[in-house]
Amino acid sequence: MSSTWINRIVGILAALAIWELAGRMMGDALFAPLSSVLREFYAMLFDGQVVAELLASLRQMLFGLVLACLVGMPLGVLMGRSQLADVLLHPWLSMFIVTSVAALVPLLILLLGTGFWFRVAVVFIASVWYITLTAYQGARGLEPRWIDVGRSFGAGGLRRFWKIVLPGLYPFLLAGVRIGLVHAIRAMVVAEMFVIVGFGGLIHTAGLAVSSAPILALLTLLMIVGVLANALLKLAARHVAPWHELRTSEPLRH
Amino acid sequence: MRVKHQAFLYALSLLMGLALWELYARALPGIVLAPPSSVVVRMAHGLLSGELSLALLASLGALVLGYALAILVGVPLGFLIGRSKRAAEMVEPMMNAIYAVPPVAFVPFIIIWFGLFFEARVALVFLMAIFEIVVAVSAGAGSLDPGLIDVGRSFGAGRRKMLRSVVLPAALPFVFAALRLGLVRAINGMITAELFFAAVNLGKVMKDAASRFDTAGLLAVILLLCILGLLTQEGLKALEPRLMPWHIRERQS
Repeated sequence: MSSTWINRIVGILAALAIWELAGRMMGDALFAPLSSVLREFYAMLFDGQVVAELLASLRQMLFGLVLACLVGMPLGVLMGRSQLADVLLHPWLSMFIVTSVAALVPLLILLLGTGFWFRVAVVFIASVWYITLTAYQGARGLEPRWIDVGRSFGAGGLRRFWKIVLPGLYPFLLAGVRIGLVHAIRAMVVAEMFVIVGFGGLIHTAGLAVSSAPILALLTLLMIVGVLANALLKLAARHVAPWHELRTSEPLRH
Repeated sequence: MRVKHQAFLYALSLLMGLALWELYARALPGIVLAPPSSVVVRMAHGLLSGELSLALLASLGALVLGYALAILVGVPLGFLIGRSKRAAEMVEPMMNAIYAVPPVAFVPFIIIWFGLFFEARVALVFLMAIFEIVVAVSAGAGSLDPGLIDVGRSFGAGRRKMLRSVVLPAALPFVFAALRLGLVRAINGMITAELFFAAVNLGKVMKDAASRFDTAGLLAVILLLCILGLLTQEGLKALEPRLMPWHIRERQS
């Protein structure tokens, strides 16, 4: 086993030990120790209701995220390849990226109610700009030489796009999905906690309990989902664009 | 000339977007979505009458304190993780795991610890800003030009001297990027906190507007926050070349 893995495991074990000790010192009400959270976690998994709510929430989130990809990716590529589109769209991009999603929630409730489309809209708005931005950076940084090579081998515009531009963009598009996903999960929880439905609603309700074990168990579940999804997307990136490995191995951002 | 051209297109794009929004809003029945003209009027009125300006001032307290705390803790922590491979490997799995949890999900937890008022808002701003800062600083500190470190070492710089004279100046651009990212999140945290804890200041203005179905009032606050975000970003960007001329010189050459 490499020293990297030893360090990682030591780090994780140390954090878990600190959690347990701190939890025992502070008590269930303030900060439940790992052992009671684990008990709660098991009960929750076999209860079924929590998992069902989580899956339903994730389904809606995925719908919004897919929409955001469908809009954001072409938009970002367009901005990266056309200077006019870049200049026209960039001010809007910078404006929306600094806008807080939580601040938009009350407005979206007035416009869309609190149902399916409201939640999809919150997720969409939260993630689409980051997906656009990543695709934009990818399209801008594309090696002009690659395209020149294609041209000198007589590849037409369409063929150049499918065979050179698009594969060159894969790593960025996938990184965009990864960054978008982080924001989509955040937005899902913001929307659901605001109107107290779905998984976010469960978190809200768990906050009212006397013990902090239920809410920590829910947060742990969310953490596992986030980490797993991130790992899966990284694996996909490695599969689709192995040459890009080194450049995307930075720690997760945004 | 080129810059002027670009500024013109920026303005054109904004005007076109606003015109579209205005037309769309006017075509809708009743008061579903307020047109930009009434949003701007509402914001100007709110700022002058004090409704928005006083609320904004009151909001800034939690923002400044939370952001300052996040910098004080986040920047040194980021350096520690970035400069020590071992520390990075030990802390990274936990950081990634906590980062995967949306900060709002900690709201009920923050209520248990800090209540519903000022302390809770500071805590949420801190929580939302610090991860961005730690991740960006550690990425920067970890990717310093090894040549610089070698030069320092061959001139016999000790650990402390190296940190002060080589590592810190070289990493300052990354620190600035981290501060900018952190500030966006901190402003985000400020308004999130005011909506999710006891509704006060700008959050209260928003909730009141929402209960009156007043989209112009809501959009006025959103616009104000957006302007605050953009202005602070540009402010930090303008500060950068003054504080570290060497970085700019490097970029130009």
